[in-house]
Amino acid sequence: MKKILPWFIVFLLFFLPGVIQAQSQIIPEDSIGFRDFLIVQKEVPGLSYRYVLGEKSISDELASDSIYQFSKTDTGYVSRLISDFDLAERLENRLVADSLDYQLVYFVFSNLSSHESTYEYLANLIRNGDYQVKFDEDGPKEDLVSLASKAPYSPLQKFKLRFFSDYQLFGVTLVIFFFFLVALGMIVFMLVMKARKNKRENLLKEYERIIIDPLTSLLFEKELKEIQEMDQNEIEFYFPQTLLSKSLYKDVLVERIIGLNKRMKGEFKDKLKSLYKKLELDKNSMDLLRNKKWDRVTMGLVQINEMDLVEALPEVKKFTNSSNFHIRSQAVAILLNLSDQVDLTFLRDQTFPISLWQQMNYLRIIRFASLQKDLKLEVLFDSQNSSIRIFGYKLVRMLGRMDLIGVLSSIAGGVAEEEKIEILETYSTLGAHMEVDFINECLHAQNPNLNLAAAKAASVLGNSESAEILFGLIKSETSFGNKLHYLKSLYELDREKFDQATLDNSSNEILKIKDHILDPMLQNV
Amino acid sequence: MKRILIIEDDLLISSLVQFRLKKDGYETFLVSDGNEGIKAIDALVPDLIITDVMMPFRSGIEIIHHARQSQPDIPIIVLSSLGEEEQVVLEAFNLGVADFIPKPFNPNELAIRVKRILK
Amino acid sequence: MYSFLFYLILEFLGLMFLILSFSVIVIYLILMILSAFEMRDYIRKNRFADYGDIITSPIAPGVSILAPAFNEGQNIVQNAQSLLSLHYGKFEVIIINDGSKDDSLDKLIQAFELEKTNYAYNAEIETKPIKAIYRSRNMSYRRLTVIDKENGGKADALNAGINIADLEILACIDVDCILSSESISRMVRPFMEETNKKVIAVGGVIGIANNCDVVNGTVTTYRVPETQLGKFQVIEYFRAFLMGRMAWSRINGLMLISGAFGFFRKDLVRAVGGYFPKTVGEDMELIVRMRRYMDEQKIPHKVGFVPDPLCWTEVPEDEQILSRQRNRWMRGTIETLQLHQAMQLNPKYGILGMISFPFWSIFEKSAPILEASGVIYTLILLAIGDFSAVYFIALLAMMYLLSLLVSSFSVLYEQIAFNHYKDKKDLQKLIWMIITEPILVHPKIVFWGVMGHIDFIKGKGGWGIMIRSGFKNAEEKKKLNPQVTSS
Repeated sequence: MKKILPWFIVFLLFFLPGVIQAQSQIIPEDSIGFRDFLIVQKEVPGLSYRYVLGEKSISDELASDSIYQFSKTDTGYVSRLISDFDLAERLENRLVADSLDYQLVYFVFSNLSSHESTYEYLANLIRNGDYQVKFDEDGPKEDLVSLASKAPYSPLQKFKLRFFSDYQLFGVTLVIFFFFLVALGMIVFMLVMKARKNKRENLLKEYERIIIDPLTSLLFEKELKEIQEMDQNEIEFYFPQTLLSKSLYKDVLVERIIGLNKRMKGEFKDKLKSLYKKLELDKNSMDLLRNKKWDRVTMGLVQINEMDLVEALPEVKKFTNSSNFHIRSQAVAILLNLSDQVDLTFLRDQTFPISLWQQMNYLRIIRFASLQKDLKLEVLFDSQNSSIRIFGYKLVRMLGRMDLIGVLSSIAGGVAEEEKIEILETYSTLGAHMEVDFINECLHAQNPNLNLAAAKAASVLGNSESAEILFGLIKSETSFGNKLHYLKSLYELDREKFDQATLDNSSNEILKIKDHILDPMLQNV
Repeated sequence: MKRILIIEDDLLISSLVQFRLKKDGYETFLVSDGNEGIKAIDALVPDLIITDVMMPFRSGIEIIHHARQSQPDIPIIVLSSLGEEEQVVLEAFNLGVADFIPKPFNPNELAIRVKRILK
Repeated sequence: MYSFLFYLILEFLGLMFLILSFSVIVIYLILMILSAFEMRDYIRKNRFADYGDIITSPIAPGVSILAPAFNEGQNIVQNAQSLLSLHYGKFEVIIINDGSKDDSLDKLIQAFELEKTNYAYNAEIETKPIKAIYRSRNMSYRRLTVIDKENGGKADALNAGINIADLEILACIDVDCILSSESISRMVRPFMEETNKKVIAVGGVIGIANNCDVVNGTVTTYRVPETQLGKFQVIEYFRAFLMGRMAWSRINGLMLISGAFGFFRKDLVRAVGGYFPKTVGEDMELIVRMRRYMDEQKIPHKVGFVPDPLCWTEVPEDEQILSRQRNRWMRGTIETLQLHQAMQLNPKYGILGMISFPFWSIFEKSAPILEASGVIYTLILLAIGDFSAVYFIALLAMMYLLSLLVSSFSVLYEQIAFNHYKDKKDLQKLIWMIITEPILVHPKIVFWGVMGHIDFIKGKGGWGIMIRSGFKNAEEKKKLNPQVTSS
């Protein structure tokens, strides 16, 4: 609540002049209106008035009138100070009837006061709550019944007028009405939609169920050639046209065939692909490419990729520069998968950091492509983008490209430490024994993360020198976690050295770590 | 007639395998999750078990473990998309499975392996 | 003179309520629009993703699941089993027995053939003492580690798990949650999509399992709970945890992901010193501290959100338990906002400081108080016969309809995205709830929120003072003297 206080003050400052403005508005500013207002008030504490006549002479009758009590001055006559404003109208009418040159002047506490300052005085009284304003409507001046008979019958007219003229209230009501309609509309829509959606979902389940049987029997009963030569009647037997014309059924079929294709090997893959074409589902996929929604286009691309629709390649090429990330990366994936020449330069030239998600998709395709095609992974090492270079090192490891260790070796010394970590992991996975010098060099580095990665590699590939360095690192290391890693590596590399490191150190910490490493229950963590 | 229990949560795969094995004249039983699998092993005492690794509730490894204890003579074929994870393969063979077939797979190849094991 | 002051205050309050109400309306409309866009994009993106790829890919990061358990003996074995059979390649399950008084530990030891190990536990984050760390020789349970420790509360238990977690991503979950077998692969995706903005955490949606059928760790048939409070929470969960968070994630302004199902990057959690056990709002506090840390380090980052239904839990339908939960949530919110008050309207903290934080201060933290005083205000106006009472009654009606609008939108939203409640009767029950909730249930929630404020104010001294003065920066939690933390 403390924070609200300053706001309160700010609001107050902002708000205060507004209040004054609003209160003063009750008093009319023009002189006639002001006078009429005062007449209604009858009497205002401290406020009085008199008439000043600019005439040299006036009728005796007027001069002797006890209400005015005129007295003569140099320029004319002045009346007495009157505080009863109720009289003003009558007094003034008489002056007007005599067509005299007169002026109304106000006095505040018997001091002459200009129109403006009188106005201010009154406004102040009202503002401070020292004076309660009276209104014209205050009490009928005439007989109630006769008054009522003059007024036409109009029930609640005042309220109605107020309602419509009050635009705020009107606005609020409008918003309420709008909200009500929208909420109502949504609830109705919800009910309709639920019914539709349930129907669709049940249908989907039904289709999923009925597709299994024809699909499995077809795959086992027919040879590839037979599938290719199926005629309309045979297709009708497995997949009735009445169902095939339904788009939901088609979607399920596409999804099932692709799902199976992913999990099958050998001739079954070919059978599924020719079935896909036989059922003209490939046309469906191609049509998706012309869809306006990016997700449909991507879906089409995914289907083309999974079913190896080579004939779609020219179409797909157009999407490699799409502004949509999903479309672009999927199109590129297809090119990798389907074109004869696999060129990774597009990947090398990618400027944006490559996400793991992309890496996963590319890996799946590159791994598959590397079985049949010659892949020049090393172009990735020249990328300006460090995430691409790192992906390149990973690929060497994951594709088991022993032949590229030489290339890695030639660049490993000059790359950033983050990249060295990746290279070290690749070395240890591929068992690159000849790179032990690099490992030892990394063990000496200043970066603890690099040291840890090097220690891990050393546990498989290290030599006596590595053991010596590890021994030193264990002695100087302060972090418990790192110490454990180093000792673990040393344990795997050189038991003797490990015993030495743990024996002549009686520290509780080292003993704890030793027990941990020697515990067979913890070996597979 | 030899009885084969197939424990696999992907209905399309399991019915495909079932279809193929029926063709070779085996009697097949399908269950789709780990718990059911363990129950079925004890209830059916099949001649061969084909199991997935990743399944709801109990993993394939647990199933193998259970089968090894209660029915040590039933041969087991593991059918798994986890072919990548070395540890799973090693573990499965450690537990004494007869064969390990990674997905993607060829149902005909599976049938041949089944025939060889059941001979 | 006094009457003038009275009217002035009345006028001022009136203006304040007017501004507030209209900003509530505008903000909720914006939230609805933002979340609709986010959901549309998410559904589109999901259409062609194959989550099976993540499970087997060597690129996917490893996940350490941390599940603290306190007196969960009844279901612990079953729960651990379903955690172990999640579909994912590289993951481990760490169950932390937080000094349970029941037989939780014995049951675990028996079921999973656990044995004590010589684990070299290193309390990088200070925790209550560890009694033992267990593992199994049985290869089927090789993913499982059980920590037995002295009781220290959920945050402390999670910290112990964080200390021994081995993999890159931490999944902090409640052990009694029901997880879909796909949950890890779905939740890991935002981490994998990271490019130039570090993804520090990913939140998920919690579904309500009351009255639903659960088979093999997945909800098979959804049914709306029987009780009023249960049904209310269904609506509330759609509104706040589905629609609201979706909208905030669109502008990268998420301040809270559910403590029952949240994924974090381990190195970052360790860098900020883990959970802060002295607050009751430890889940919100951690996210805010992590984000604050990233902003202080000037590293672009985001908190992801996955709207897929992957995790279900039983919510309290008992009024007493619910009131305590809401009271705790309110205190947690207040404490977190207090601890990180330096972020309020500080442009250094970007959207978080300029939008999310003020939003939470006004609409989450102060909402119960503002609402309660708004109603009292209207009553006063009515009592003194002020014409502007009409405005405020109209305003209340407008707020009621706004609630109707937002609630029905979020139910519709759930229906478009997931369509869980298949039975038409369920939908009718929900619609009836939408209409009656603002009158029948909402006042209770407001009351509990106000009670939360009162309890926060009462809880003076000791940590209260620390929380009131706040952290100077995100790393300050780490530097706290351990003697003080374990007091």
